[in-house]
Amino acid sequence: MATPRPIRSMDPYAEQFWAYTQKKEFRLQKCSDCGKFRWPPGPTCDKCLSDEAEWTAVAGRGKVLSWTTFRRKYFEEYPAPHTTIVLELDEGPLFVSYPVDVEVAKLSEGMVLSLRWTDGQDKFGEYNLPVFGPPSA
Amino acid sequence: MADSFDRKRLAPLKDTVAIVGVGETDYGADYRGAGGKAVGKGEARVDHYTLASRALKRALDDSGLRKDDIDGLCTGPTLSGERASELWGLNPRWSGSGDAAQCIIEATMAINCGLCTTVALVYGNAQRSMDTAYGGARVTGGGITSYFYYAPWGLTSQGALYALFFQRHKLLYGTTDEQLGAIAVAFRKHACMNPNAVMQKPLTIEDYMKAPYVAEPLRLFDYCLINDGGVAIIVRRADMAKDLKQKPVMVSAIGWSEENVDATQLRPRLKDFYHTAHRGVAAQVYPMAGVTPADVDVFATYDSFSVHLLASLEGFGFCKEGEGGPFVQNGRIEVGGQLPCNTSGGMLSESYMQSWNHQPELVRQLRGGLGPRQVEGAEVAQYVHDVAGKCKSIIYTKSA
Repeated sequence: MATPRPIRSMDPYAEQFWAYTQKKEFRLQKCSDCGKFRWPPGPTCDKCLSDEAEWTAVAGRGKVLSWTTFRRKYFEEYPAPHTTIVLELDEGPLFVSYPVDVEVAKLSEGMVLSLRWTDGQDKFGEYNLPVFGPPSA
Repeated sequence: MADSFDRKRLAPLKDTVAIVGVGETDYGADYRGAGGKAVGKGEARVDHYTLASRALKRALDDSGLRKDDIDGLCTGPTLSGERASELWGLNPRWSGSGDAAQCIIEATMAINCGLCTTVALVYGNAQRSMDTAYGGARVTGGGITSYFYYAPWGLTSQGALYALFFQRHKLLYGTTDEQLGAIAVAFRKHACMNPNAVMQKPLTIEDYMKAPYVAEPLRLFDYCLINDGGVAIIVRRADMAKDLKQKPVMVSAIGWSEENVDATQLRPRLKDFYHTAHRGVAAQVYPMAGVTPADVDVFATYDSFSVHLLASLEGFGFCKEGEGGPFVQNGRIEVGGQLPCNTSGGMLSESYMQSWNHQPELVRQLRGGLGPRQVEGAEVAQYVHDVAGKCKSIIYTKSA
């Protein structure tokens, strides 16, 4: 059984993002008209208002911008302490995730981390969760 | 966004409306409970409307106006304007809703358009007794998307988003925890001079540092209170504001600028500290009021978290970007200092009225005679609303 996690915010566009994760594909919408990547998923390009977009595989690499460590339990699924991070992906969007295989004390501004997958499930079903750790050598 | 506002149209609105009455509930007494019987979490005996009604009655009493003088109504986000009007027996000629600064701006516009003359701005929130959640599994929709979107990764709560903000500020500028702590310590000092404040126990920087982290690097005292209360403000056309019970306080400038692009992915928060919105509002309010930050005698900012003050001081030019940490130290933001901030104790230590309580405090400071926490000779007061990039500001001045 996959790991239970707090519920995802689901809509027709989020559904497609999470469907790709079932195949361990990390894809974001890229505007077919102007090429801007967007996150979170949605119906429209905020730059040119086009509603044409392609789910495009991204490199899964980003630089650490910030992090916070929960010292109090907010979710049953995430006992304290639990650290979350914000990365700036190579393709532009900022992406919230949590770090794996790296000590919180070793996190630093601009540190490069890359995509790992871990399993997850909620009432919408099973999926894989994109998390980030040190790039493999 | 284009710098498209029209300074020439904004300028004549200066001092066209005034605050003629303010009212608040008994935050401290209600929190502690009459006869030592505090209302606990989830034990609501009153609702948002009860608290709003009490505040409205007090604001009317303060102004000397009668209920029938009210011809416009603005309600805060917890209230339905329709139900509130019915409850208070009002058939307004105009109504609006929003946060406190938004309602003051809306009322200023409506009065200047000639739709109405005297607007009651009313807010009530029974959030403690109704056990309102601002993070965790009970927050699953509504409001700002970033507050719940990242739950699958374990990120939740407004506090955590401001923790990310402060961590970034630390990384870029070397801001220290002790510097941030000076904010909570100053606001608590102010609360201890305010008998209506919830918090009355002095807080030292050592107490601050010893308190537990919630979302590190934010500690307990960086977080606002959760308490019940209500606030009301009566705004009236300036030429009708003379010869009332109180000396009117003028609305001398209004400004509004939002930074919503890529807000859910936290870009304006972490890459800009919302300074684009701050600069947009500063460009409106200071020329309109004919003042500069150096002229501001008393300042208040939205402070659901201490971090807000760093952001607004830097963004509005009270100090350079990245220098908020040193700026807030050594008593500069305390009563008696260069720029007294959140002199009622703010939302950290007086009452979490989602900024509504800041307006009566600034009005009282300009009326004068506030006792130990009075800012001597206060003539110019500024409120900055800086909530997740939706920035507004009001400059109030003492009437001539």
